[in-house]
Amino acid sequence: MQRFLDPAVLARISNLDLIAKTVVDGFVAGLHRSPDFGFSQEFAEYRAYSPGDDLRHVDWNVFARTERAYLKRYRGETNSLLTVLLDASSSMNYSSHSVTKIDYARFVAASLFYLAIQNQRDAAGLIVFDDEVRSYIRPSTRFGQLHRLLAGLEHAEPRARTDYAKPLDHFQQFLRRRGMVVILSDFFEPPANVVRTIEPLRFHGNEVVLFHILDPREMEPKLGEPVILVDSETSERMEVTPEYAHAEYPHKIAAHIEELRTRARSAGMDYFLLRTDRPLDGALAEYLTIRQERN
Amino acid sequence: MGFLAPWFFAGAAALAVPLYLHLLRRHTSTPQPFSSLMFFEPRTQSSIRHRRLRYLLLLALRLALLALLVFAFANPFINRPAASVSANKLMALVVDNSFSMRAGSRLADAKREALSVLASRGPAERAQIFALGSDLEAMSQQTDDSQALHAAIEAIRPTDSRGNFGELARGLRSFSNSVSGPIDLHFFSDMQKSDMPANFADLALPAKVSLTLHPVVTSSVPNWAVESVDAPGQVWDVKKARVQAVIAGYQTPAATRTASLVVNGKVIATQKVQVPANGRAIAVFNALNVPYGFSRCAVRIDSTDALPSDDISYFAVERSDPQQVLFLHEASDGRSPIYFGDALAASAESAFTTESVAAGQAASVQLSKYAFVVISDVPSLPSSFENELARYVRGGGGVLIAAGTNIGRASRIPLFGANILNAQYYSNGPGGYLTVGDTDPSHPSIAKADRWSDVKFYYAVRVDESGSQVAARLTDGTPLLLDKQIGEGRVLLLASGLDNLTNDFPLHPDFVPFVEQTAFYLSGSERPGGSRVVGSYLQLRTAKERAVSVEVVDPEGRRPLSLQEATTAQTYQLNEAGFYELRLANGRQDVVGVNADRRESDLAVMSPDALSLWAGKPNDANAETWEQSRAAASASAPQKLSQQSLWWYVMLLVLLTAVVESWVADLHLGVRREE
Repeated sequence: MQRFLDPAVLARISNLDLIAKTVVDGFVAGLHRSPDFGFSQEFAEYRAYSPGDDLRHVDWNVFARTERAYLKRYRGETNSLLTVLLDASSSMNYSSHSVTKIDYARFVAASLFYLAIQNQRDAAGLIVFDDEVRSYIRPSTRFGQLHRLLAGLEHAEPRARTDYAKPLDHFQQFLRRRGMVVILSDFFEPPANVVRTIEPLRFHGNEVVLFHILDPREMEPKLGEPVILVDSETSERMEVTPEYAHAEYPHKIAAHIEELRTRARSAGMDYFLLRTDRPLDGALAEYLTIRQERN
Repeated sequence: MGFLAPWFFAGAAALAVPLYLHLLRRHTSTPQPFSSLMFFEPRTQSSIRHRRLRYLLLLALRLALLALLVFAFANPFINRPAASVSANKLMALVVDNSFSMRAGSRLADAKREALSVLASRGPAERAQIFALGSDLEAMSQQTDDSQALHAAIEAIRPTDSRGNFGELARGLRSFSNSVSGPIDLHFFSDMQKSDMPANFADLALPAKVSLTLHPVVTSSVPNWAVESVDAPGQVWDVKKARVQAVIAGYQTPAATRTASLVVNGKVIATQKVQVPANGRAIAVFNALNVPYGFSRCAVRIDSTDALPSDDISYFAVERSDPQQVLFLHEASDGRSPIYFGDALAASAESAFTTESVAAGQAASVQLSKYAFVVISDVPSLPSSFENELARYVRGGGGVLIAAGTNIGRASRIPLFGANILNAQYYSNGPGGYLTVGDTDPSHPSIAKADRWSDVKFYYAVRVDESGSQVAARLTDGTPLLLDKQIGEGRVLLLASGLDNLTNDFPLHPDFVPFVEQTAFYLSGSERPGGSRVVGSYLQLRTAKERAVSVEVVDPEGRRPLSLQEATTAQTYQLNEAGFYELRLANGRQDVVGVNADRRESDLAVMSPDALSLWAGKPNDANAETWEQSRAAASASAPQKLSQQSLWWYVMLLVLLTAVVESWVADLHLGVRREE
């Protein structure tokens, strides 16, 4: 199964539905089909009954055994709403191998949608943005929502440049209900700006997860000779030497990642780094395992 | 060390190209897109410095490659002592086996002397044996194997060909190009004077060939020979045939020789001729009584000289019945049959007899028995006969049409097919007649005539000449004699009559050779004289007779042509004296007598001065002085040097440098597959 989940292999499958199903079924099978795993309706604790509590939440089985009334408590009922913010700026079109970052982000988003809608019966929505909101699919559990979301992903072609400030203002009006917000981007912005811009989402009680998607060559460039690099968003040109690319650049990008992770955690957001050469199901399973452990 | 082409050093300017490319030209590389330059910093200066240092080895290799190429094209050489190359010396032994070497024991003497020279050769010295007849023939490979060289000399046989010393020099010039070292040439010959080329410069040998002459005779020898025989190749009336032989004496006293005419091995006539000292006499035989078919004939003289092979001269004669010629004329025309018939009877050695038929009676004539047909001013023929005549021509027959005043009234020439444009009566014009303007002397009908220059034409028919060859024109451009090929046969059109009314041609001396040559031409029975010279070529087939087998039987009874040659060879060279039997591609049988070139019969030898001049040595009188001056010159002269080119060595270096440059360039500039 693992060989089918290689990003390069997935890139050859044009059907996002099939990709999502393949990925999710793969890592769910890898987790031994844990039935309690999911984004919502998670069991939290028992609490002793006190007058005024809703009798519907009393666990009558426990009462029958112990003759004491306990209420069954669930967590995260607001998690039943999943919104994916997909960065579709030009920089997401970069690739050093067969899978571009935007493709990888599509696979992740499709997998999350599949997991939420097919497995959890949750509502899911999509916002595609670059320097403005390009498309918005309202979260819903209606029949056919998954196909609408996948079609929205299909049409998300990279263009323009990233600007979190302008679209985030619009996000506020879309995200009135509390839920889970997943942001898929390469975050080529100063981490302070990124966190400062996204932080307001957290204030509304949303659970915010940052998926930082990077190409392996963006982390470790390999240049044989001095070359002129062209910024895909600004078209700026710069002559770069192999020495710099091999010696200084990795430190800078590592510091960037670390700062973004630290600031995100400090702001109560989850941060997870995804390299486009990693198997997709493995990366998602790892993330969900960490998340489960933390909860 | 020197350079054979130093001007190629101008190519050193090309060294500036890699210098420019490596050091001066601004480096440009293809821009590569990247997601974000957020973490990059520009580093331009350091990258150029780095590139210069890194490609220094590549620059050096490229400069070396160009410099070596320039060096190679300048063609460097070093001088080496000539002594070091003398080890490649080759001994070439050439034995003359031309016809004159049959005299006495000349060839045996030459071979004996060649063997003695071969025995004096160094132990590892290579040698090659040649025979010189009409051309230079290699009898062995270049080898130091004494047995093979001995066998090659013993294998040399006398030939009937004519020797040619110019051919020896020409062959040696081309041969020396394939030999790297010097050639020590020994020539064994009777040094016949007649074998010398017309120009002494043709005897010049290449500088690396040193010639030593070995004459087998020192003085001229008297010799009688049958120099030539004039005999017909074909005989119809044996009483009219005549044979004339020239008896020649070379360096001979006056003597009486007996000449005999031999037919098929039997002497049928003899005659005594008085040959003057060193002169010629003619023997004439007034009858050639040969049987029907081919006869092998010869004229022979009695002689006791050293070269008996030239005392006989061969020729072949074919005897056949006279062929009939059909002469069609108008019943009212009684003149033209007489003129044409008399001319034909007076010429052509009685090969033809004329049968005159009036045009009205032509329908019953069977054409296949006639050698050719003459139509004299008949404007129309019976249609069945005209069709029959057309078939006769297409099958290979010949027709002569004379267009007189009767044809001039028609619109078209029968059989010939050309339209008549108009009939021109010159007798009415100024001068009263026209003469012949242009003639084609290569046409058989007028080859022997004197351009018909004095013949007066009072009348001519102007016809459309398209599709035919014009052999003669009148002075106003009117075609007079036209030749057209129809199928396999030919039709000749004389645009005037044969009746002495429209012209005075029948009374003119050129009329008889015209009739004779036209008869042979149209009948296709013309046969050249039955003797040839050794070395001449015989035509076996024409271009259209491809893939038809021919057969040649030489005087020894052998068939020299292979099966493939028998179906493809166009010509055959006659190499031996005697009788050749032939079956040609057109089905004809033939016999040809072949004789050696009689210039070989003159056994006069070259003068000692000429021999010395050729060999580059003085004659006996000046030999001592020449040797002394040569010794002094060799002592005072600097050591002889030979130039050895270094081109190949430099090119090897170029190749090696190019390989290393490719490897280094690939190391530095090759496209790396990113892992």
